Amino acid sequence: MRRLTCFVLIVLLLAPLSAPASLAQSAPFTIEAAAELQPALTALYKARYGAEPTFVTDDGDLIATNDPAFLPSGRVRVPPHFLPDSFLVMARPSAEAEAFAAFAVSPDGQAALIEGGFLPKSVTVTDQAGNTVEVAQPIRRILTPYSIATYLVYGVGAADRLVGAGYLGTRDPVGAARMSAIDPRFPTLSGYTLNQREINIEQVAQLAPDLIVTSARTAWLDTVRELNIPFVLLEGESPELLKESVRLMGALLGPNARAQAEAWIAYYDDIFTAVVEATKDLTERPSVLFIGTAPLRVISGQMYQTDIIAAAGGRSVSAELGGYWNDVNLEQVALWNPEVIVIAPYGEVTPQTLKESPEWAIIKAVQDGKVYKMPSWVAPWDTPVMDSVLGVIWLAQKLFPGRVNLDCALEAQFFFEVFYNHKLPEAEIAAVCGS
Amino acid sequence: MRIVALRGATTAKGSLRLSLAYLSLALPFALIVISLLLGLYQIPIETVGRALLSLIVPQAAEGISSTELTLILRIRLPRVLSAALIGAALASTGAAFQGIFKNPLVDSNLLGVTSGAGFGAAVALLLGGTALAVQSAAFAFGLLAVMVAYAGSRLYSSAPLIVLTLMGILIGSFFTSLTALTKYVADPLNTLPAITFWLLGGLTGVTWNSLPLLALITLGGSAFLWAVRWRLNILSLGDAEATALGMNPTRLKLVIILCATLMTAAAVAVGGVIGWIGLVIPHAARLLVGADHKALIPTSLALGASFLLVIDTISRALLPAEVPLGILTGLVGVPILIVLLRRSQRVW
Repeated sequence: MRRLTCFVLIVLLLAPLSAPASLAQSAPFTIEAAAELQPALTALYKARYGAEPTFVTDDGDLIATNDPAFLPSGRVRVPPHFLPDSFLVMARPSAEAEAFAAFAVSPDGQAALIEGGFLPKSVTVTDQAGNTVEVAQPIRRILTPYSIATYLVYGVGAADRLVGAGYLGTRDPVGAARMSAIDPRFPTLSGYTLNQREINIEQVAQLAPDLIVTSARTAWLDTVRELNIPFVLLEGESPELLKESVRLMGALLGPNARAQAEAWIAYYDDIFTAVVEATKDLTERPSVLFIGTAPLRVISGQMYQTDIIAAAGGRSVSAELGGYWNDVNLEQVALWNPEVIVIAPYGEVTPQTLKESPEWAIIKAVQDGKVYKMPSWVAPWDTPVMDSVLGVIWLAQKLFPGRVNLDCALEAQFFFEVFYNHKLPEAEIAAVCGS
Repeated sequence: MRIVALRGATTAKGSLRLSLAYLSLALPFALIVISLLLGLYQIPIETVGRALLSLIVPQAAEGISSTELTLILRIRLPRVLSAALIGAALASTGAAFQGIFKNPLVDSNLLGVTSGAGFGAAVALLLGGTALAVQSAAFAFGLLAVMVAYAGSRLYSSAPLIVLTLMGILIGSFFTSLTALTKYVADPLNTLPAITFWLLGGLTGVTWNSLPLLALITLGGSAFLWAVRWRLNILSLGDAEATALGMNPTRLKLVIILCATLMTAAAVAVGGVIGWIGLVIPHAARLLVGADHKALIPTSLALGASFLLVIDTISRALLPAEVPLGILTGLVGVPILIVLLRRSQRVW
């Protein structure tokens, strides 16, 4: 009797341990895949379950394919890409299949595919400072002291690989709360002293990143060189350069990031084309003055904001200026006499500031009530980040109400869902593009 | 300097210099008129004249566009006047400090007023204060810095001037550190650029609101310095001589320092940190009229006002983007001073 009890107890104790194995044997889901994709999937499946997958030729739970016909149309999330151009489609969604798809695009999944020889062991890129950098794959730990790079990592769907993130809005509680809603890890990630000017080198060593992505105008590169951590430099102050930055992040962070980067570039190009189409008959471009943290601080022609204005169908009056932000006086503004004034999303200046000033009353935009504050959700829409596509849409709507057939709120909802994997709170959708 | 000062007061050359000093006072007024005519926005002379006349005879403004009227009366006029007042304040207080401290290498920032004002402005900007709040905070902290320096120096009875100078330097660096701390905690997207810009100095944002306090203090302070200018000669001889001549040097110095501090704080509160003028304009004035304060104070007032008027007009009327005044004062002023120094072979 006692022996039997003992036996039963042992069986009961062992049962949970043997469960995964039995689960694997009974194959939680079937995979439908072309023959040339099967070896890669087997490698992935083995790494995850330690067993062979069950391939079927028809009616699989999970479809693995490189046929673009399977790509969902419209503005929805990019399907998980485990190889360049090869992705997974949930034919019959289940928790287990979803988990497998997540594994396929994770650094562990990427490592399994590299081991099987399906993905390269390292990638070589030329960064935006012109340096050729070889980076071992997969990147599990990425450090982005440059806040623009932080947003780019989120935008290509690789935020799970971040170990530290520079963030310009650290002192903006609203923006920080939104970032935390997108990623609960964000307060920890952004809690270090990290920016283009300052870095704690010991902190960096402690975080042990595989890759550092920062601005081409970073002050501390020489110290980081001592640690032998590869770094990639970004400089995205134009639409073409921004697309290049996004493409770089895609190239560095695995096939799924690459697919998401390409999807964003296609979307960005779409929006530009739509605005150009809608405004091509116009002979006169509305003149726009873009101001920053003070009413008399205006953009130069070399800044990305100039391109946003051009993309939205306007003409920046301060394009002749060089450098970065310029301080001008009201006589210069009176000479430009802009039809529209756009205020950067950050800073204390509001349309009210200008409307209440007797001096600014001489400017056409103020007389016509065409002074707008650019909205932002997490990243400022006027900086070279992926969110800036929303800045173009918003500005095009302001410049040509009714003519440009784009709904800013709807596009914003789509943008955050697709690229930040974040559903905007229902109550805030209407306000995301400002009033 | 001492010998020159005594001789300057008694010779015929001295009275010639005095006439030159009074004559120089016309210069800023002429420059104010010229500055009002200049700007990026081309406005005919006649329009400028009629717009100014409309301040007295409102009918004169008829036919002038509201843009031109606003630019002349609400933008150029307050800016030109504040440039003149700030230049005059910085240069004359610089001359007074150089006399009191018997040191040609100091200006009215010696006791930390600018550093204090910079910190006050930075804190106000950090807290998102209005332009008026920033000005008031700059003014208050400028005064506070000097008061602390002065109070600190009273702890020692011996060598008060040296101790006061040292305290001023210490308090100045303390407030500079506090300003750096404020910049460190400031939001890099929002408040930091505003603080940095304020610290560079400039008159871009000047409107009539900035003027009352500046005008009141500068005019009152200048009148006071003018009134005591011959006493500065005696003070620059040293305390023992001053006491022997029946003066209370400690009290007089305190009053002059207080007056100069008020003037500097008001100037910095409106124009931000504009270096160089308080140090170098008194030297330029000395090259012209000698070290006698009777001539030196009026000339410093005139040259300071004129110099900043010229610099600010260059800054606002030459290029679409404004060049910070702190950059221009050095770039334009140093060559002028070197030429002046070469032409005058006088012993310093």
